[in-house]
Amino acid sequence: MNLENERPARLFRLPFKLPTSASARKVGVYLSGLLYALGFWLFLDAVLYSKHANGSDIHVTFVDWIPFLCSTFGMLIVNSIEKNRLLSSNSSLGGSLSGGLDSHMASQARFVLFVGFALLAGGLAGSLVVLIIKFLVRDYNTYPTVGMGVNNVLGNLCILMSCVVLWIAQNVEDDYSYNLTL
Amino acid sequence: MFHVKVSPITKIISLSGFLALGFLLVILSCALFRNYYPLFDILIFLIAPLPNLLSRKSDSFGSNGSTDFMSESNNSNHDFAHFMTGLFVSSGILMPMIFQHCQIITPESCAMSVLGGSIIYASIVVFTRFFNSSWDQEDDALFG
Repeated sequence: MNLENERPARLFRLPFKLPTSASARKVGVYLSGLLYALGFWLFLDAVLYSKHANGSDIHVTFVDWIPFLCSTFGMLIVNSIEKNRLLSSNSSLGGSLSGGLDSHMASQARFVLFVGFALLAGGLAGSLVVLIIKFLVRDYNTYPTVGMGVNNVLGNLCILMSCVVLWIAQNVEDDYSYNLTL
Repeated sequence: MFHVKVSPITKIISLSGFLALGFLLVILSCALFRNYYPLFDILIFLIAPLPNLLSRKSDSFGSNGSTDFMSESNNSNHDFAHFMTGLFVSSGILMPMIFQHCQIITPESCAMSVLGGSIIYASIVVFTRFFNSSWDQEDDALFG
């Protein structure tokens, strides 16, 4: 507290304005939408390529769709969790006075969150499995064919990144109300 | 923002000209190559501004002023709108590229539809901004 008041006058300044937390949150959410669209279209690229421009005898089947569906469900679950439940669980961790209902809710929220992250990680791992077992083991090594598997992996990675970016952007400690009161 | 006096009619006419140019580019990209897949681009870019507009509407009509402004549900509402906007805009740009990569449409058609779709989206955004700024000015005139 004292240090902040006694901060000396500075000679230099940052040549740009640091983003406030509200605008950072906005940019993060936009970025997350962009990453999700990128993942979706990368995967759809593999599907359309298999249907329209395929030179080989290997095709995208329902097995390739499973990792994508897992990732999407995982992202839906992770981001529809009420974050306040988790926060309230942290504050009432030490106290035995806290109600049983609240801690019950918190453990439920943790379990659902675990399922969501497991689905996300399972999607990425599943796409890797599809890439290895369906393409690499059967010696489909040349690029336009193996691209279908690689696109699948990249798409799932993008969806994972999108979920992470959205999570971080929504959990940024906001001094937004502070700005408003100023 | 800028102090050049332009009458609103001129703004609207020039913006509608831009909008028509965007539509022209996308439709030309379909008709020149007799392949009507790029029309989906128009659809995506028409849907793209909707989430932000809807969340802004609910902001101004559904709530009673600044007490609701900081509430949690409103915040997540805005987040969802921003997420959907980012998703639609980037998929409108990515979709013709993916079609081009899958040899459904030609590269020229891809470039024309991306350009036309971006022009459509930009003109819609600028149009809503003009409307909002005029509303703000009216508010200022009312209170000032």
